[in-house]
Amino acid sequence: MDSSTLDLHPLHRGAEADLFLSELPPWKAVVKRRVRKAYRHEELDAKIRKERTVRESSAIHDAKIAGARTPSILGLDLERYVIIMTFIDGMVARDAIDTMGNSRRLPLLEELGRQVGFLHSAGIVHGDLTTSNIILPDGGKPFIIDFGMATKSSEPEDRGTDLHLLQRSLIATHALEATSSFKRVAKGYREAAGEETTRSSLRKAAEIARRGRYFAIR
Amino acid sequence: MFFLGIESTAHTFGASIVDDLGKILTNVNSTYRPPTGVGIHPRKAAEHLNEVSSSVIEKALQGPVERFLPDAIGYSAGPGLGPCLRIGATISRALALYMDKALVPVHHGVAHLDLAMAAGHSHDPLAVLVSGGHTAIAVHLNRRWRVYGETEDITLGNLLDMFAREAKLPSPGGVAVESKAKEGRTLLSLPYTVKGNDVAYSGLLTAALRFLNNGHSLADICFSIQEVAFAMLAEAVERSLVQTRKKEVLIAGGVAANQRLREMIQMVAEDHGATFHPVPVQYSGDCGAQIACSGRLAFESGITIPVPESFVNPRWRLDEIDVPWIPRP
Repeated sequence: MDSSTLDLHPLHRGAEADLFLSELPPWKAVVKRRVRKAYRHEELDAKIRKERTVRESSAIHDAKIAGARTPSILGLDLERYVIIMTFIDGMVARDAIDTMGNSRRLPLLEELGRQVGFLHSAGIVHGDLTTSNIILPDGGKPFIIDFGMATKSSEPEDRGTDLHLLQRSLIATHALEATSSFKRVAKGYREAAGEETTRSSLRKAAEIARRGRYFAIR
Repeated sequence: MFFLGIESTAHTFGASIVDDLGKILTNVNSTYRPPTGVGIHPRKAAEHLNEVSSSVIEKALQGPVERFLPDAIGYSAGPGLGPCLRIGATISRALALYMDKALVPVHHGVAHLDLAMAAGHSHDPLAVLVSGGHTAIAVHLNRRWRVYGETEDITLGNLLDMFAREAKLPSPGGVAVESKAKEGRTLLSLPYTVKGNDVAYSGLLTAALRFLNNGHSLADICFSIQEVAFAMLAEAVERSLVQTRKKEVLIAGGVAANQRLREMIQMVAEDHGATFHPVPVQYSGDCGAQIACSGRLAFESGITIPVPESFVNPRWRLDEIDVPWIPRP
């Protein structure tokens, strides 16, 4: 569809895309436009933007079918590297998590684990799972957004990468205690993904963390 | 107060004196260069470091009027090549005992960042450390550097050095690749691997070597390696910058001397309203000044080590050491 005729109100500037708020009655819509990166060679830039726009729209669609909570796709404008989807009103988990008490945070982490478990059971890997890509609606359950790095995969390696990124975001951004917070993520994940998938994903996640430079034990 | 720093992690033996304000008074270095087409052999590098050590230290201690008498000595305790680390550590222990001065263990990666922050006037940056030993994006939180993103396999320095070696380009490989890349025009298709804030370069190296063996233009390959490998890192930096909302971006380490990489990271920083703080090129590579600069800060924070416990640690992560002196005023 042609997104150039929509009424756009700036909403947020992300790392790779600009987000706008718009109306596509009866929906409140988000228009996500991947922008040209001046630092990147032009050919490489166009290739990456196109690939990610396609990838994100199909991954969001698949994730929804798998039972995860994601926005709904309303339209696609590949010529302008644009996806139009439903607007999710709420706080970004990154901003909310530090001020939460454990009584709110721990169930949230567990629910998050469950959502990721749904994705992985359906062979969808998010690829950029950080607290910046989780929206918390007022009083509701979390939504996962930004599927631009998503892949279709049933490899423990890719599932492990997701869990590793989430864990690192909890430690590096929020200085949360690694073991106890991640235990709750794993609990929810296990409920959705089952014992076998959980075990292989967690094992890979630990292995990937050790792949970083200069870990004493490999 | 004078502080002596001794660098000895890989190919460079360095010694440097800083004063109590962190001003670099001397900085003397000698770097082992392997023959073209050959990598660094740890034992041969260690032999070189051993050979040049006394003359390097001698020169570093030479003040304008008289010899500097250091009040404490910092040594590069890791990470690095075991045989090389032990040369610098052994000499530092001997000096500390002989002069009866305190010994301070210094993390080589943290030291890159400390020197770059001092020389580049940065206080609390998103730090990009790119060298033969590191490719990491880090921010400071609760007394430590926290790694936000890093390479999952080889470092940028490894990538450039290993390719240069196979292409029979002279050492240092990064400089040779950069100068060849200037003649390149055509972008070859190389794997672009970004996983969240992490990057991976081994697939890119394999593909680049395949182009080399198939007789593609060396200039085009070098150009494409830089364009793709640096864009991957720039993207990871951009993601990290948006997540951390830091107002400064610092780039440090040997590969930080590359002008194309500096340009890309600068664009990312400025695009997000952050100031750009590149390490001055003369301080980008391994040098004594980084150890002196970081060691002095550690010493002022009360960090010293008794000689019997002064081990080296070839594997020592950037996020495994307390750095209470950051953020800098």
